[in-house]
Amino acid sequence: MKTVPELFISAVNKFSSSDAVTEGDKRVSYEELGRFVNRFSSYLTSLGIKKGDKVITLLPNSIEFVVSFFGIAQLGAVSVPVSTAFKKQEIQFFIEHSGASLVLTDEGFAELLKDSASESGTLVTVVKEDSSDWQKSDEIQLDFDCIRPEDEAIYLYSTGSTGKPKRVSRTHTNLLALADNHTQTVGWNESDRVLFTIPISHTYGFGNFISSIKIGAAIVTLGEFNRHKVLDLVEKESVTIFPAVPVMLDALARTHIKEPGDISSLKLVISAGAPLSEHIFRAFHSKFGIYPRQLYGSTETGVISINLGDSIEERFGSVGRAVKNVEVLILDDNGQEVQSGQVGEIAVKSPSMTTGYYGLPEETAAVFKNGYYFTGDLGRIDPKGYIYIVGRKKLFINISGNKVDPGEVENVLTSHPLVKEAAVLGVSDDKGGELVKSVLVTEDDVESGEIMEYCSDRLAGYKVPRIVEFVNELPRSPSGKVLRERLK
Amino acid sequence: MSQDTKDRIKHLLVQSVLKNMKAADIIDDSSLIDLGVGLDSVATLELVVALEEEFQVSIDEGEITPEILESVNCIEAFLSGKS
Repeated sequence: MKTVPELFISAVNKFSSSDAVTEGDKRVSYEELGRFVNRFSSYLTSLGIKKGDKVITLLPNSIEFVVSFFGIAQLGAVSVPVSTAFKKQEIQFFIEHSGASLVLTDEGFAELLKDSASESGTLVTVVKEDSSDWQKSDEIQLDFDCIRPEDEAIYLYSTGSTGKPKRVSRTHTNLLALADNHTQTVGWNESDRVLFTIPISHTYGFGNFISSIKIGAAIVTLGEFNRHKVLDLVEKESVTIFPAVPVMLDALARTHIKEPGDISSLKLVISAGAPLSEHIFRAFHSKFGIYPRQLYGSTETGVISINLGDSIEERFGSVGRAVKNVEVLILDDNGQEVQSGQVGEIAVKSPSMTTGYYGLPEETAAVFKNGYYFTGDLGRIDPKGYIYIVGRKKLFINISGNKVDPGEVENVLTSHPLVKEAAVLGVSDDKGGELVKSVLVTEDDVESGEIMEYCSDRLAGYKVPRIVEFVNELPRSPSGKVLRERLK
Repeated sequence: MSQDTKDRIKHLLVQSVLKNMKAADIIDDSSLIDLGVGLDSVATLELVVALEEEFQVSIDEGEITPEILESVNCIEAFLSGKS
């Protein structure tokens, strides 16, 4: 098994009668999923998609997302999952930057993209509706021999300090390694049922998704986080694994439940994307009787570590030990390993990691060195191998697991006709998380609400500044660099 | 419900969404959407959970429409229907 289609066919053959995906009342077995995916590949072929083409999936967690991903992979084409949280301007960037020839989406986004996509020559097709054309396609005989393990399988985008997302390509080999590393460490099996309310289009969701398929687990999809639906689904679908972000766990722990359902099926709650506070860790356990376990990963590498240790009460703040086949080092500024327990930059070597950023040789050379990816996160490892993240060197803002590039927000702010200069930074909220704050120099009076609305039209909601301040000038160093620390 | 309820709503808005405002600066019928309320799903979730805790009501995220978040008066009317 060396390619994604081989991984998929193996699961279909091995777990044919088991649930593969559920969405509301819809339920698809692995055998049915195999047929759906075959029809989808046939449909894509009829649209002219072939090996090497790039196809954007702009879909919520759904049966169609799963079918699309493997339908694309079976043709040797490249999947480009894009979050449905993004606005038109952001989506256009992904279309242009990936060179996508096709966007698979729902009616709402198809309408939104109608004009711009036709200008760029990109086809937009609706696949998420009850009688989509793909469902009427005939099944076809596919030849996977043309797909090589080293071929690109997926483009994910990493937030950085470049003002635009950076393209991260992962090969078929990388994705199979990702599934191996994760499943071999966590010990999932075909009886597991994994609830996906974190977006599968994001690296965290995707890692859990490809791992679930590999071991024949059921994927229980929920398009949007909703506390009551999560708890209902855990009970109704006997969910065993729930990947989440801290803000979800906090909301669940604080939710008043009149008649608590039976959630005893739940055996693993994963927390990733942002630090898990001790308060949320304990509040969630107190309410539901299960401890959240922190996982650490990145778009560049996939999953890096997970805290599955017995001593979770003592080590709740750790993101755990490196998963199988992944090596983690803590390095000083000279690239030398620090002594055990000392803080340094976390560097990762993994068979699932990318080799660099497309079209960005300098950024690639800065963080991919000697076979390691330098994460920009600062951490330490205790004598038992548990990793603790204590800070970061990179300039980005973490909003509940969504990374925000200050440069991207500044670019939008300075495109406002009255904004002369803008500085964007992260400030702490009162729950251990971060907020996007903007400090502006304007040419005339402008309301903070107008600035927020302007950003909201152009940026995903989580990137919109929650704090807008106005100053006469930005503090700068002698070299002209904005001194963000002074603006906190 | 009363002005006290509206003041409590304003306090929660400042805590969860309108981080750089003072509760006293929020006018009962002024547009909260224009101030940025409802733009970010995470902030909206924080507000919903805070409203539940403060007023001891159960709210489903799916119930929250832009109309409910239009003003403090609208949020108060929504909560009145819950009690």
